Amino acid sequence: MIRYLIRRLNLFLATSLILFIVMFIAVSKFPVDRIAALTGVQQPTAQQITRITQDYRLNDGQISQFIAYLQQRLDGDLGLSSTSQNLILDELTAVLPASFELGFFAGLIAVLFGIPLGVLASLSTNKITQHSIMAITLTGYSIPVFWLGLTLSLWFGVQLGWLPISGQINLLYEIDSVTGFLLIDTLLSDSKYALSAFLDALQHIILPAVTLAVLPFTVVVRITRSAMMTIMEETYIKAAEARGLHTSTIVMRHALPNAFIPVLKNLGLMLGAFASYAMVVEVIFSWPGVGAWLVSGIYQRDYTVIQGGILSVALLIIFLSILIEIMHTALNPISRKELYAAN
Amino acid sequence: MPQIKIYQEDHIPSPASRIWSAFTDNPFAFAGLWAVVSLLLLALFGPFIAPYSPEHQDPHALLLAPSWDPAGTVEHFLGTDDLGRDIFSRLLHGAHLTFGMALGIVITALFLGFIIGSISGMMKGLKSSILSHLLDALLSIPSLLMAILVVAITGPGLSNVFWAVGIALTPQFVRAIHQAVHEELQKEYVTAARLDGANPLQIFWYVILPNISDTMIIQTTLGISAAILDIAALGFLNLGAQAPSPEWGAMVSQGMDNLLTAPWTVTIPGVAILCSVLAINLVGDGLRSALSPIRN
Repeated sequence: MIRYLIRRLNLFLATSLILFIVMFIAVSKFPVDRIAALTGVQQPTAQQITRITQDYRLNDGQISQFIAYLQQRLDGDLGLSSTSQNLILDELTAVLPASFELGFFAGLIAVLFGIPLGVLASLSTNKITQHSIMAITLTGYSIPVFWLGLTLSLWFGVQLGWLPISGQINLLYEIDSVTGFLLIDTLLSDSKYALSAFLDALQHIILPAVTLAVLPFTVVVRITRSAMMTIMEETYIKAAEARGLHTSTIVMRHALPNAFIPVLKNLGLMLGAFASYAMVVEVIFSWPGVGAWLVSGIYQRDYTVIQGGILSVALLIIFLSILIEIMHTALNPISRKELYAAN
Repeated sequence: MPQIKIYQEDHIPSPASRIWSAFTDNPFAFAGLWAVVSLLLLALFGPFIAPYSPEHQDPHALLLAPSWDPAGTVEHFLGTDDLGRDIFSRLLHGAHLTFGMALGIVITALFLGFIIGSISGMMKGLKSSILSHLLDALLSIPSLLMAILVVAITGPGLSNVFWAVGIALTPQFVRAIHQAVHEELQKEYVTAARLDGANPLQIFWYVILPNISDTMIIQTTLGISAAILDIAALGFLNLGAQAPSPEWGAMVSQGMDNLLTAPWTVTIPGVAILCSVLAINLVGDGLRSALSPIRN
């Protein structure tokens, strides 16, 4: 197991290094002054120029420059935003929690509704139920997320007026940022409106989270269904049936834990697409997360924001997908066995 | 020499015709195939049958409702947008931008992925893992982020979408083909061919390639639907096709200003994207289930 973990760590480091190389090359191709592209300082004084040239070793060769770039970035120095002149790191810590909140909620909705529906689809012998569940998932898989978001906000937000369609919370509430996660912050806050602020924030998250949940939901349903259909044919399920166990016990105790393994694997594979969808959803619902921040960064040609955003999001995705892979191996005895067999 | 039927047996269908009959047994998949074929024809010949040019502005018919609405006219079948442009014509002109470009991107990505994936799949050890993991970093950058990076370097435009989506798709093809080749290499019939003295190139071309073609077909259908959604999303965010272009995603974003007064300017291009992606996914699903008895 240790050896496996070291190999995964190696993979993480190697992939991150390639990512940094790609970013370094991209930065040198940005159509602005190199100093502005690296640090975001628009009109540097002579003093700043000397310091930046020294920090990034701009007079040395490419490899030395890359090492200096890597050092700066790993020190947490992502430069200044060229439009707001704030530190990128501060802006990033302000927007990341909102994205996590949205992603977590969407994932929760997808898993909570997807797994039962997938089990239902696999167990039902009724052709109509099966076909309609598959039709719903296929449609959900094919729907363009920006159009779905617009339609939902037009319907539930404007015509029915049930749910708010933009932002994270009503601007009337003033909530101090403690953890950065608004739903937790509203509960922690000691103002007398804390509860109503929490409910308001909860209302705001429903539409974006549902829009974002559609893609993982359909994937979860399909994978759960196909996994359950293979598992229910296995001999150990027949043995459990022969012992006279109730179907619900068989599903809950014997089948579902095994069906969860491929679901986990596919959730890991889906992270990239999920992040793309999340960015679009954030733009549509004006969700103050990293996606909306990045898209506004590209509209304003804010090259340091683009760099910082892409680096952090891509590193997060690499990290999370490797983490999910490790969890998958830890949970799945069969892949552990392969692990020992492989060289 | 006259062919004489010695045996009274039934005709034994070839694998291809067996897949075809399994595929046509599924009515949904077959309907999807028809839809895809007609989309292809529209992408090729759409501009010729469109009643108006995509930029033609009719000042007397601004924000006209679709023809089934009492306010609509049949001259503008799907209504017009805020500049009086005929939505039906724009959809037809946009088909080759959205659907045709998705096809182009997938073919390019398939070609590159096939070369890299099969080389890395046939090799063993460190070289193979370097080649296959080299693109993992790219795989981890979501297609939209990749597009933002490309747009940051070159500026927005339809040709940059080609690069952005292509770069984001290629690693998926590399990975799928690498895994398929790698899995086939472990099987006994490959060992048998090797014992017969086949060299690696012969093993790849005659032994492995016919057995990974189903993976490639499935990956291609998945790739096309992902590419359409990506192109449309980029058009919607104004990072891909720019304002007057009739690309379907860009049409949705152009209709956004009139979402409340004229929802059809957003709904109709959205439904067009949904239907084309749905048709491709239906074909992909049908192919997968038609191919699966052979694969297992």
